Amino acid sequence: MNHSLIALVCVASPLIAFVVALVGFRRRHGIAAGIVLTSGVASLVAAAALLLTAHPEAQAFTSRWFVIGDVSIEFGVLLDGRTLIMGAVVALVTLCIQIYSLSYMADDPGRGRFFAFLALFEWSMLSFVFSANLLQTFIFWELIGLSSFLLIGFWYEKPSAVAAAKKAFIMTRIGDVGLFIGLILLFRATGTLDVMEIGRIFEPQGQPSSIPPGQIELIALMLFIGVIGKSAQFPLHTWLPDAMEGPTPVSALLHSATMVAAGIFLVARFHELFLDAPTTMRVMLGIATFTALLAATMAMVAKDMKRVLAYSSISQLGFMLIGLSAGSLFAGYFHLTTHAFFKALLFLCAGAYIHGCGTNDMIAMGRAGVARMRITTIGLVVGGAALAGIPPLAGFFSKEQIIGTLDGSGLFYTIIRIGVYAAAFLTAYYSFRMIFLITRPNADSLAVEDEPAHAQHAGSDHSAGHDPAEPWVMCGPIILLTLGAIGVGFLGGRIAALLGIEHAHAPTLAEMAPAVGIALLGVALAWFEFGRTGARQAGFVASFPPVQTLFEKRWYIDEFYQRVFVRPVVWFAKLCYGTETRALDGAADKLARGVVRAGGETARRHIGRLQLYIGAAVASVAVLVFYLAME
Amino acid sequence: MTDFPILTVTLLCPAAALLLTLLIPGRMDRLIKGVNALCALASLVLAIVIWIRFDRSVGGFQMTHDIPWVPSLGIHYTVAVDGAAVVLTLLTSLVFFTGVLSMWTLKERVKEYFAFMAALVFGVFGVFLSLDLFAFFFFYELAVLPMYPLIAIWGSTRKEYSAMKLTLFLMAGSVLLFPGLIALFVRSGGDTWNIIALAESGAFSRQFQIFVYPFIYIGFGVLAGMFPFHGWSPTGHVAAPTAVSMLHAGVLMKLGAFGIFRVAITCLPEGAAYWAPTFATLATIGIVYGAFVAMRQTDFKYIIGFSSVSHMGIVLLGLNVYAASNGASDIARDGAIFQMFAHGIMTALFFSAVGFIYDQTHDRDIRHFGGLASQVPVASSMFIVAALCGMGVPGFASFWAELLVFIAALQTYPVLGVCAIVGLIFTAAYVMRVLSTAMFGPRNPDWDHLVDVGAWLVTPRVILVAVLLLFGFYPTLILDMIRSVGAGGGP
Repeated sequence: MNHSLIALVCVASPLIAFVVALVGFRRRHGIAAGIVLTSGVASLVAAAALLLTAHPEAQAFTSRWFVIGDVSIEFGVLLDGRTLIMGAVVALVTLCIQIYSLSYMADDPGRGRFFAFLALFEWSMLSFVFSANLLQTFIFWELIGLSSFLLIGFWYEKPSAVAAAKKAFIMTRIGDVGLFIGLILLFRATGTLDVMEIGRIFEPQGQPSSIPPGQIELIALMLFIGVIGKSAQFPLHTWLPDAMEGPTPVSALLHSATMVAAGIFLVARFHELFLDAPTTMRVMLGIATFTALLAATMAMVAKDMKRVLAYSSISQLGFMLIGLSAGSLFAGYFHLTTHAFFKALLFLCAGAYIHGCGTNDMIAMGRAGVARMRITTIGLVVGGAALAGIPPLAGFFSKEQIIGTLDGSGLFYTIIRIGVYAAAFLTAYYSFRMIFLITRPNADSLAVEDEPAHAQHAGSDHSAGHDPAEPWVMCGPIILLTLGAIGVGFLGGRIAALLGIEHAHAPTLAEMAPAVGIALLGVALAWFEFGRTGARQAGFVASFPPVQTLFEKRWYIDEFYQRVFVRPVVWFAKLCYGTETRALDGAADKLARGVVRAGGETARRHIGRLQLYIGAAVASVAVLVFYLAME
Repeated sequence: MTDFPILTVTLLCPAAALLLTLLIPGRMDRLIKGVNALCALASLVLAIVIWIRFDRSVGGFQMTHDIPWVPSLGIHYTVAVDGAAVVLTLLTSLVFFTGVLSMWTLKERVKEYFAFMAALVFGVFGVFLSLDLFAFFFFYELAVLPMYPLIAIWGSTRKEYSAMKLTLFLMAGSVLLFPGLIALFVRSGGDTWNIIALAESGAFSRQFQIFVYPFIYIGFGVLAGMFPFHGWSPTGHVAAPTAVSMLHAGVLMKLGAFGIFRVAITCLPEGAAYWAPTFATLATIGIVYGAFVAMRQTDFKYIIGFSSVSHMGIVLLGLNVYAASNGASDIARDGAIFQMFAHGIMTALFFSAVGFIYDQTHDRDIRHFGGLASQVPVASSMFIVAALCGMGVPGFASFWAELLVFIAALQTYPVLGVCAIVGLIFTAAYVMRVLSTAMFGPRNPDWDHLVDVGAWLVTPRVILVAVLLLFGFYPTLILDMIRSVGAGGGP
């Protein structure tokens, strides 16, 4: 089998599964799930085969879809290091989550639809990753948005889930507008839709002479606006925590390796272009660092386990962007890969705990004794430690790479470095806070439960109501991802080679020291405050109540948006509505009534002044004739 | 076979429906429905045949059929199609057919209803097929007139008011239009009404064009729902019965836009280019304004009505960008005509889904609903599909239409283009509001008894969805057709 055929299997099988499952077997859940799982396996096998037999040169297989004028719209797959790694990761994580969902969604009355949507999502994501064409990129970017809307809002009778899905869709759409304009500008600047061709234009050292530097900056900035929306960076990050209202497998899928990673992948895909836009890259670096820090402060005070992970996703996406915008494709891309494993793992652990004890609250979870769930707890510890950047787990290697890229000098870089160190410290702190709250519960501590255990069992929530057993379909994916979170970090050399980069030298001890030191410092603080016997289990920020509140309220950003954007929009809509009903319609109605009244008046005065009528008629004809004569 | 006057026969399908409906006694209402469905199906088949037979490589106007009508005034009955007309003929027959099927449950004054509807469709076909300006205007007025009784008799919610408002607005438009058309005829020498001949006569000075163009543009624009003369349209939608809403938003509004394309821009290119910035600005305001008003509305049909104002704004923006380029911007023209088609199918689907729900509940306030997706999954899916299409989600026809218009607009009027694209955010906002309020959310137990769309009634809706998907995935089918407009010569 040649590569083009394998790639076709990889991309197309989820689409077929989606259509068949949704149209034919929406109500026969078992069959729908079976079809979707089969397609997931097919995609994974195909993606793995492509990765393992990767051609050293980039290959593109496209076929003409149609032609508009002199622009031919090609659809196809682009196989190079960037797409192959990402494709394999996406297929693997998706399959893990599909298997996991067999158990997690077992009692859901709509799970046939759920599996169909998972397949739709996988199709959109894989087609986006392998895209060989700007238009294809945009189309599947939008479809990722649509399918994540469907998945987040899967429990559509739950108002909070619907609100979250709506928010996610609209917030990411704000970014999409930027991306759309950026892609059009890019097409106009380069005259091609071909992704490989664009890479070639921007590849040589220095900016291409054919495009003015200002325009490159503008294009990069517009693309970045799209990234901000999709990858939940400040200031469009607020949709992601709310999106936790969806089923936990969805959170695991969307917020680890796929949807939010699409933005990062876009930057990696067009990294050559971004490198030619130094000013935009500095803006990106600033925003990414700020986001990483901001989200970490939210994660250190949250009690809802899924929210901690959501904030952590925002923060880690910031880290990836830091790596990319500091100029290192490898650092950002490597972190994207490792993060996919350990974050998906942590979400699946969270799901297992929630499934088992009916609460999202970590304090209540710990006190309910969920740590007894052995495999899940091992997964939690490994995933948390990987997130914290403890050697030799996956997160350590990639984060170390990111910190290593920040070697610029000057005030700007100094501030960035301090920010990144602080964010890395907080990451280790909140990861281990999570681990300790769950594994070392202390009923006498100061920690207060927001949601007692089994609170969700009472309601009709589909996600709860099970004994804390660990069915194998849930454990299997957790074990697999645990191994990934341990092992992927050692594949740095392979990944660099696939990306076509000389492997960044093996880090020396001295270079590793800051990254390790910071992580260990965070762990130590978490141990002191949450882990040791008799710990108060209250964070150091609790000593500063206003700060604690600020972090808990997510820096009041949602409230700020509500006031500064949502309300004016609503007000403006009211204004338009008022204009419509009063001014425009009102005027038309008044005019009509006026005419009726005038008609009545005329009728009353219609007493036969023939001369006047004829005079008026002659005068109007004269005016017309005069005009025509003037022509 | 070459001489078979296929266009005339297509035009006669609704006329036959009208005649037969009048001949059949009113109590045989099933027979009336059957006859109308058959005639509509015949027109659909013919429209597809026209599509297939149309030679895209040659382009221009084809299948001409010409009969002198009033020779002394130079009035001919001339029908011919170019790519744009082929597309819109298909749209009309699709909406006609699905509209008849959607009204299958009608019980009240069936005969009169279908008679008026057939008359309306007859007029619409006439407009899309005519190449003679007089016949064009004749059919145009013929299409508009039946709206009054259709709304005033079978409508709901302030129906007399809405019907009167609609008629007055459209008459006001015609009042502007009529002198403009006569001016064209007189100025060109007064011996032909043929649109192509008029356009090529070269008799229209720049100054004349600039003077006359706004009359014709606004005259047609009123029917196309152009801001700020759109007020009749949402009110009319709300009051009209389902199939009339479908025809009204799906096809009738296109007549206005088609008139601008076929008559105003073709005959008065310099005037069109002169006025393009002004009218493009109004169109952009319409796009954003329609979205904002829709955000406040609580009536299903009002929301769709204002979404139509917004979406027709995209058509008008495309046409103006095309006009500004002096006919060079193919992309803008393709996008505008594609959008006419896509919007026609999409709104028909919208109204057909809402009509289905309204028929059972007699309520259209979105706040009174919730969780419809679980109560009437099929009807709701139809509505959701239309909503996704309205948001320009890829995979549906309007994605391509909007894409083309926006690309062209960004090139010609960057500021307006950006405003129109930003309007997409607000489109998403109002669409999401309807979906999250009525389709999703906690279910309202009052409507648990609703019956979902059955196997027979689902047919028309499935056809519409299939068309949206077909052209969403394979847009080149329709783009090739529209693009052939530029190629080739006259009839």
